[in-house]
Amino acid sequence: MSELSQKEQLALHDFSVRYRAALAKQHQTPEQSLDTVRDAVREQYEQEQEAKRSPQIEPPSPSKEREPDEPER
Amino acid sequence: MDDLIKLVRTYRVTVGLAERLRLAEAIFRLIESDLRAFVFGSITNDAAKKDALQEVLKAVAVSLKNFKGDTVKEFWAWCYRIARNKLSDHFREQYSERVQPLPPDELLQMMDVTAQEKPISPGLRHDLEHIIKLLTANKPDCSDLLWKHYVIGFDYAEIAEERQLSYDNARMKIGRCLDEARSLAS
Repeated sequence: MSELSQKEQLALHDFSVRYRAALAKQHQTPEQSLDTVRDAVREQYEQEQEAKRSPQIEPPSPSKEREPDEPER
Repeated sequence: MDDLIKLVRTYRVTVGLAERLRLAEAIFRLIESDLRAFVFGSITNDAAKKDALQEVLKAVAVSLKNFKGDTVKEFWAWCYRIARNKLSDHFREQYSERVQPLPPDELLQMMDVTAQEKPISPGLRHDLEHIIKLLTANKPDCSDLLWKHYVIGFDYAEIAEERQLSYDNARMKIGRCLDEARSLAS
């Protein structure tokens, strides 16, 4: 079974670095990505605040505050 | 990379929104390009890959406080697990966009984009062309395996988890794909 030679490994490393650099260059300002992240953080924060507030309105519940879900598969 | 895990740990215990936003922005400035490389390497349709990237970023951001690990390696494995799940959802919905390797000429153009800052000697160009041939010569399934293992950096255990294979089967399959790529590329 094949393994990469040392020369191939070096070239592959160079390829990977350049591939990422080219992607970053083509999309220099990931402002859209940062907006998505900010919105997600705000949404998450608001859900937490809501969860903290709701026990004061609803009858006391013995259950613990639910942790946010991991993304579903 | 130590900075990354420090930021993630701090984010986990941060309560205030303004501070969370600042930390999240710093974290995603460090990880966005790698997640982009992963998503863009998996989908060919331009519009679809941009949407998929935003879905992946959102999923990681929403779950950031749930990350339980303590090392950079664990953090990346966790990020890629979320990304893989999101891409699986995406492919279930739009199966026709299933993984296709980027064409070799497109990858070569991407190498040239970087030549201004980091010149490519004739020898290196030859080696890069060889690597691109290896990564793209196979059928899509094999190319995807080689890409994920050698470019994205998934280890055999991660490939095994993704493909629902045993560790040894994943290792052997990658070896066979590399053999096949060599014979097709030569």
